Amino acid sequence: MSPQTQVRLDVVDAAVHPIVRRSDELREYMEEPWRSRVFPPPHRYLYPAPTGIPPYGEYREDSRSGGGLPGSDPDLLAAHLAACGADAAILLPLTRGLLPDTEMNTVICAATNDWLAATWLGEWNAGGRYFGSIRVNPEDAGGAVREIERWAQHPRMIQIAIPLESHQPYGQRQYFKVWEAAARHRLPVAIHTDGGAGVDFKPTAIGYPLHYIEYSVMYPLNFIYHLASLIAEGVFGRLPDVKFVFADGGHDLLMPLMWRMDMDWLYSRSETPWVTQMPSKYLRTHVRFCTSRFEIPGDPATVAEWTDMTDATELLLFATNYPHWSTMSPSDLLHGPTSDAGRRVLGGNANAWYNLDRAST
Amino acid sequence: MADASSRAVCRVEELPPGTVKIVPLGKFGIGVFNVDGQYYGLLNYCPHRGGPLCLGRVTGLVEAGTAPYEITWSRAGQFVRCPWHGIEFEIATGRSIALPAMAVRSYPVKVKDGFVVIEGA
Repeated sequence: MSPQTQVRLDVVDAAVHPIVRRSDELREYMEEPWRSRVFPPPHRYLYPAPTGIPPYGEYREDSRSGGGLPGSDPDLLAAHLAACGADAAILLPLTRGLLPDTEMNTVICAATNDWLAATWLGEWNAGGRYFGSIRVNPEDAGGAVREIERWAQHPRMIQIAIPLESHQPYGQRQYFKVWEAAARHRLPVAIHTDGGAGVDFKPTAIGYPLHYIEYSVMYPLNFIYHLASLIAEGVFGRLPDVKFVFADGGHDLLMPLMWRMDMDWLYSRSETPWVTQMPSKYLRTHVRFCTSRFEIPGDPATVAEWTDMTDATELLLFATNYPHWSTMSPSDLLHGPTSDAGRRVLGGNANAWYNLDRAST
Repeated sequence: MADASSRAVCRVEELPPGTVKIVPLGKFGIGVFNVDGQYYGLLNYCPHRGGPLCLGRVTGLVEAGTAPYEITWSRAGQFVRCPWHGIEFEIATGRSIALPAMAVRSYPVKVKDGFVVIEGA
């Protein structure tokens, strides 16, 4: 594909996690004294998936590069996208969540952005099929805003990326300036599990599960704390242009939460008067969910009803979570990939949400 | 009373501003409110779950200020909160603040010959 080719975006993989080729590669994008400092490697994992071949069992076999870490090879990612029929991918590098040294974390985010811009969005992006995410450290709101300002005009950076892990729910006041900056630049904020560095809270609200299956089933529930907080603290009400993407799933857990929140809002409106409509009404305008880690009803006859009930056709963005082992393909989607609903989820929703057509020209 | 559907509630001086009187009309009763000299009647039955709305606390309007977490308070005495679930209704219109489409039935109230009179009940 030549640089002049008009990119067609019928299928967009909305969450791909590129990884550095070597554990120490980010150091090349840091100044001293940070460059020499010790920080956690990109593959530290407290709940490794019991799959595949060690040492990188939590990654797909087809993401293992001959010379580099899984997910570091642009040819292998291109092959993955071709297998999905995907025309474009939104790259969301992970940075190991919360570090004890939050200054170091901000530096790692900045180095990650420089690395992403130079490699995947630069020399490896001649076909224009990759879009990037600006990593920021929301625990350092000032540093996060500076990083957003540094990258907001980059033509391929189309969203901001933050960890699901945090020290307070994201609606609360210390994060507001970050969301304000995101809204000012019309950049959606993607939240993805990023844990492993050690100062995250327990992975569930009631403590540490023992095994991977418990972690993988229960951990995504943490999204509800952020969503409820973003609504109740008025982030959506105050910032009409702010958008959030739950990039690691959770849509299948959404509706019972919203039913409860809608009802309790009727009773408690006067305590949060900045919430001026039913909480669930904010979803379409402010929230999307990636389909990775996506379960559907076991009985195909109930899929259509479930889709309507959960507004799935509007709220979902197709995403594979490559190179992680827990992945999906377009054929796993609701209604199948060729229906109207399937086409929207595969690419239409991402195009509209990120304005990709404009970004790609 | 000239109008067969009009009912005297009490003498005017028995319902001073800021007070409410529940009149035993119909199945649930009707609450007659004096809001700063204006009289309003609301069915004592919350459209949400049927709570005795007019027994609730009379309150004002809480709205968002311009800065995050800023709260404003206005129109004291013009709203009533259902004692069961706290849903707030504007006394003058019967409309809830949260969902204006959700409203409690209201009745016109007038003063005639020194009496507070509810009409249409």
